This record gives sequence, structure tokens and C-alpha cells, in this order.
Amino acid sequence: MMVAGAWLCLLAPLAGALAITLAGTRISRRTAGWVSTLSVFAGFAGALASFLATAGRDAADREELSTAWTWLAAGDFRIGLQILVDPLALTMMLIVTGVGGLIVWYSMGYMAGEDEERRYFAYMALFVFSMLMLVQGGNLLLLLVGWGLVGLASYLLIGFYHDRPEAVAAAKKAFLMNAIGDATMALGFFLLIAKTGSLDFTTAFDAASRGELSSSTTNLVALGLLGGAVAKSAQLPLHTWLPDAMEGPTPVSALIHAATMVTAGVYLIVRTHPLFEAAPDVQHLAAVIGAVTLLVAGVIALVQNDIKRVIAYSTMSQIGYMFLGAGIGAYSAAMFHLLTHAFFKALLFLAAGVVIHHLAGEQDIRQMGGLKRFMPTTSAVFLIGSLALVGIPPLSGFWSKDAIIASALADGGALGWTLFVVALLGAFLTGLYTFRLYYLVFHGEPSQCVLDHAGGHGDHAHGPESAAAHAGHSHAEGPQSMLIPVGVLAVLAAVGGLINIPGLWHPFSSWIGEVAEPLVEPSTGQDYLTSLIAVTLGVAGILIARSAFGAGRELVASPGVRAALEHKLYFDELYDALFSRPAQALAARLRDDVEAPVVQRSLVQIGRGTREAAGEVARLQSGLLRTYALAIAASVVVLAIVFLVVR
Amino acid sequence: MGPGVPWYLAVSGTLFAIGATGVLLRRSPLIVLLSLEIMLNSGNLALVSFSRLFGTVDGQVFAIAVMAVAAAEVCVGLGLIVAMARRNLPLDVDLLRELRG
Repeated sequence: MMVAGAWLCLLAPLAGALAITLAGTRISRRTAGWVSTLSVFAGFAGALASFLATAGRDAADREELSTAWTWLAAGDFRIGLQILVDPLALTMMLIVTGVGGLIVWYSMGYMAGEDEERRYFAYMALFVFSMLMLVQGGNLLLLLVGWGLVGLASYLLIGFYHDRPEAVAAAKKAFLMNAIGDATMALGFFLLIAKTGSLDFTTAFDAASRGELSSSTTNLVALGLLGGAVAKSAQLPLHTWLPDAMEGPTPVSALIHAATMVTAGVYLIVRTHPLFEAAPDVQHLAAVIGAVTLLVAGVIALVQNDIKRVIAYSTMSQIGYMFLGAGIGAYSAAMFHLLTHAFFKALLFLAAGVVIHHLAGEQDIRQMGGLKRFMPTTSAVFLIGSLALVGIPPLSGFWSKDAIIASALADGGALGWTLFVVALLGAFLTGLYTFRLYYLVFHGEPSQCVLDHAGGHGDHAHGPESAAAHAGHSHAEGPQSMLIPVGVLAVLAAVGGLINIPGLWHPFSSWIGEVAEPLVEPSTGQDYLTSLIAVTLGVAGILIARSAFGAGRELVASPGVRAALEHKLYFDELYDALFSRPAQALAARLRDDVEAPVVQRSLVQIGRGTREAAGEVARLQSGLLRTYALAIAASVVVLAIVFLVVR
Repeated sequence: MGPGVPWYLAVSGTLFAIGATGVLLRRSPLIVLLSLEIMLNSGNLALVSFSRLFGTVDGQVFAIAVMAVAAAEVCVGLGLIVAMARRNLPLDVDLLRELRG
């Protein structure tokens, strides 16, 4: 049951993607949506069955490696097509298929009437399959396969509106940034193969934890893995793709930035934690990267004006928390935050999607306002998601975020204290930017744009998204297939954190702890102290955001700072100047100095020379039969003489 | 016993030289073809002579094959010449030089 369920979980979305692709136009758009949704939910059922079977076993017996066949053999190096079922993989499987299924379901309403819906749903199923491949892969190579597939699927989904140049550019950017991470990971794996001759988890981990590898080897391998994790999870300095990836449809943003792709980096660190523990410097680097990212992203989120971009920066910031947790060895806290974040961030994205859908594609929060009056349900669930994000008890984000911050406190030392302070600062920033967004969208006087769309009759096709998506408006706030998943996620975001309460019960920590033993364990006192400070700071952030909104001023007043933040601290410009421009200049120089004079002219010369030589040779061909005969006879005589002389 | 093998070879060589001279010097395609036949048959004579000298039948078998090929070649060649004559083309190999490069 445990293994069969896991295989079903892996293969159902793949089957869904294949079915939609092969059926083509023979099935209706709605059917394609259902096939995609149901295949992902079938995967969820498989994951659930596997989870129940696993949970029923003894704690020592909860890991199973199932090999289908030897997939790749090169000399002594063999890699099986195998999946690993253990508590960590199961947690990820449940998140990916559960939240992913809700998002696919939601997209049936959101994307209704969109062109090329079938392609969209095939991509969605492919994405879920890729992510499952990543988390279920039974060795590092299969993990890399899933890693690459996720990159491909995200490229396809971000660039779904392929007639919009920004979307295509964003897709390319995401793919390139991820390719950097893929490359560092592959290099790390090559090194691992060279040193241990295997990419099996156990072989690699045993070699690392027994100290068989030199410290430079483990450092390099861990750095390679960290590079991959940083790129996939959009941490500094490879983060620039994530805000741009908001060019995709909103459910895609929810899927990529809440439940799946960006959490892959955290999963990777937790999965390969023995390698990181053997290289503590690199692990601390992960924590520092997470801390820096959570601050930078939080600050940038304060001034962004696109509803999805604010949430995207908040995602970066929250993933920063997870990196911080994984970097100091609080694996279960990081995974716990991953779980609750999947709930409340998917909720926020989907609720934002409802708003965008309602306003016929408007994403600028300056054009919104006063929506609470017209969309009470959406406003309520958005509030739940926001409170969970800020970490207000008893909502889910409170339990998980405070677990990470408390772990930083428990870690102690200069690093631990620094991380602790940064994380608390991040909690304050979270309150600020989240509620700036909430107040701007839902409170205040309704803007003209909102009034235009009040009542749900939207003939105006303002934005590129969902232009024709208003056909199925039965409810003022959106179709049923959108509101039900949002409702489910709202419940999960509210109560999802109750599965792990410090001091009372901690099934989640012990569940993850079977795979990744935490390095730090905060005491109950530290937990409560942290919670007190963090919640106070979060509430302070909310109140400041509220008073700023009431006074009608921006949170960041200084125009210079604002400009810097609106340009995302000039990372794009920096990379442009550092990499893109020199590469383009080099290419232009090569074209002018090498391609045109050397390559092209040499080709012309070769052609001309051949023709001239042919003209000369052609003159030998006189057409006179007797000349030819004489030439033959003379040649024979010469040959005969040569043979005679040589002999 | 008649003359020895070297004499036959001498005759063969002479015939070959006569044939080659004809091919090289004459301009009428008909005569060129005849000279060609002389060359082929001089070759046949040499083959049969060597066959006699070495006491094997290889050369004789090969000579028969050459005859068959020569017959076929004459068929084609004479046919071409007849066709050229009927079209009033000049029967002079020096004038037939359309294949000039």
C-alpha cells in the first residue's frame, strides 16, 4: 500500500498530462480541466493512502525504496528508476498534490474562456508530475531529473501568454536563472560520483557523515546543492526571476510560488542534510542567505504596486525564513513553515486571483480600494491569509514562523543572535507590507475601476488576463470552482498550524525528525519568549500600516529610498551591466571582427576559387576522341615503363 | 611442331600496334572500330598463347569472354555509325566533339 500509493501519486498527474495532450481537440476544454484536476486529486488519494499505510508502521520502518528497473548503467555506475517513500517525501507529496489539486480546480473557473485552455491544463498536470518526481526521486539523479522538469514546466507556464513579450521574457529569465542552479547542482553531483561512485542517498550521506570525504569535497558538493536550492527558491542573488514570473496566470503563480517550485530548495536542503551537516560553513551560508533575502524581499515588498508582486516578494521573504531554519538545522521547523506557507500563500494568491478576475485583469493596487463592500467573502479569506502570513495566533503562520525564530534563538552564538534579530525584523516587515496591501485593496473609498466592475458584469477587457472569463458568473465574486478551493485553503490556513504546538504536542516535528534529526531544539521558554516578541512586532507592523493608510501616506516616505526599492534595489540593472551587456558587446565584436571578415569572406573565396579552377580544368576536355585515345595509350606506355624500371 | 609461343606473341604485339595506330590515326569511325577489333583480337591471341605456354585453360576461357564482349561492342558501335549515316552526320571523329568542356 505504501509503495503502490506512492507510485499512483507519481504517475497519475503524468497520465493526466499525457491524456490531455493526446486527446487534443477531441475533448472539450471543460473535460481537459476535469482530467487535470482529477488526475492531481488521484495523486493526492495515492499520497494519502501511502501516508496512512506509513503512519501505521513503526517509526523505524517508515522508509521504503522502491526500484522499478535499472534506468541507467554506465560501467559500475548504476541508477535505478526508484522512488523513496519516507515521512519527508510523504509530507511534500501531500502538499504538492493537495494544494496543487485545489489550485488546478480553481483554474477551471479562472481560466474559463481562455484560449488554449487544454494546453494550460496539460502543463499544470506536467508541473505537478515534475514536482512529485523531484520529491519522490529515490536518488540524487532522479531528484535532478525532477529538478530540471520543474524548470521546464515553470518555463512553459510562466510563458503561457506567449503573445505577450513580457511573459516570454519572464519565462526565459526564470529558465536561465534556474539553469544556473541546475548547473551547480550537476557539478556537485559529478564530484560526488567521482568520489563515491554513486548517487544513492544512503551512499552519499554515509560517506559524508562518516567523514570519508575530504572537507573541500563536501564543501564543494554542498555549495553546488546550495546553488541549485538558491536558484529554485529565488533567494539572493538568483532571485530576480520570481517577481517577473508573475506574468503567468495567477493560479500558476499560486502553484509555483506557494505549493511547489520555490519550496524545492528547502526540500533539497532538508533531504540532503547530512551533506550540509558535513559542511557546516555552507549550511550557515544557507541560513545567512535566507536571512538577507527575507529582509531584502520584505523591504522591496513595501513599495510594490502590483498585487501579485507584493505577494511574490512576500514568498521570497518567507522562503528566506525556511532557508534560515534549514541553515541552522531546524529542519522540522523549516518544513513546518513550508507546509503552512503552502496553505496561506496559495490562499493569498488565489484570493488575489479572485480580485483580479473580478476586476477583469487589473493588478495595480492603486486602482483598487474599497473592495470589501463588494467582495465580503474574498476580503475575509484574504484577511485570514494575511493574518496567517504575519503570524497572528492561532492561525497557521504563527506556529511555524515562531518555531524558526525560536530555533535561531536556541542556536545562540553571534550567528544565532544575528539571525534571531533579522528574523524578528522580518516579522515586523511582514506585518507592514501585508497589511499595506490588504488596506489598499479592500479598504477605503472604492476607486473608479472598482465601481466599473461592481456587480460582476464585466464587459471591459482591461487586462490581458481573463478577458472573456466572465461568461460563467453565477456568483458576484466568482464561479463556484474558484470559491470552493479558496474556502478550503482558508480553513487550512486558519487551523493548519495546530498540528504542531510547542510544549503540548508535536506530531509534525517528530514525523520529520525521523528523516532529519534537528540540530537545535528550542526550549518551551524560548518558544514563548519568541512568540511574544514576534507577535508584538507583527501587530506593530499591522498598526503602523493601518495608521499610514488612514493618513493616506506611503510607508516609505523618502523618495530616494522609494526609487531604489521600486527598482528592486537595482539587481536587474546590475546583472544587466555585469553579464548581459558585456556578453552582447562581445557578441557584436565577434560578429563584426570574426564572423563577417573571416567566416563569411572565406566561404565566398572558397566558392570563387573552386569555380576558377574548374574553368581551367574544363579546357583539357577538348571532345577530340583521338586525343583521348592518345592520352590513354601514352599513359599505358608510361605505366609499363614505370613498372619495368621499378622492377 | 609449328612455331613456338614467342612467335605468336610477336604476331600479337604487331597486330596490337597496327590496331592502335589505326585508332589513333584514322578519322572514320568505321575504321576506328575495325582497328579496335584488331586490338582486341591481338589480345585474344596473346591470351591463348599464354594459355598454351602455361598449360592451363584460363586464358582460353577469358578469350571467349572477350569475344562475346567484342561482339556486343561491335553491335552497338555499328548501330551508332549506321544511325549517324542515316542522319547525314559527318562520319569523322574529329568533327564529333560536342563533349568539349
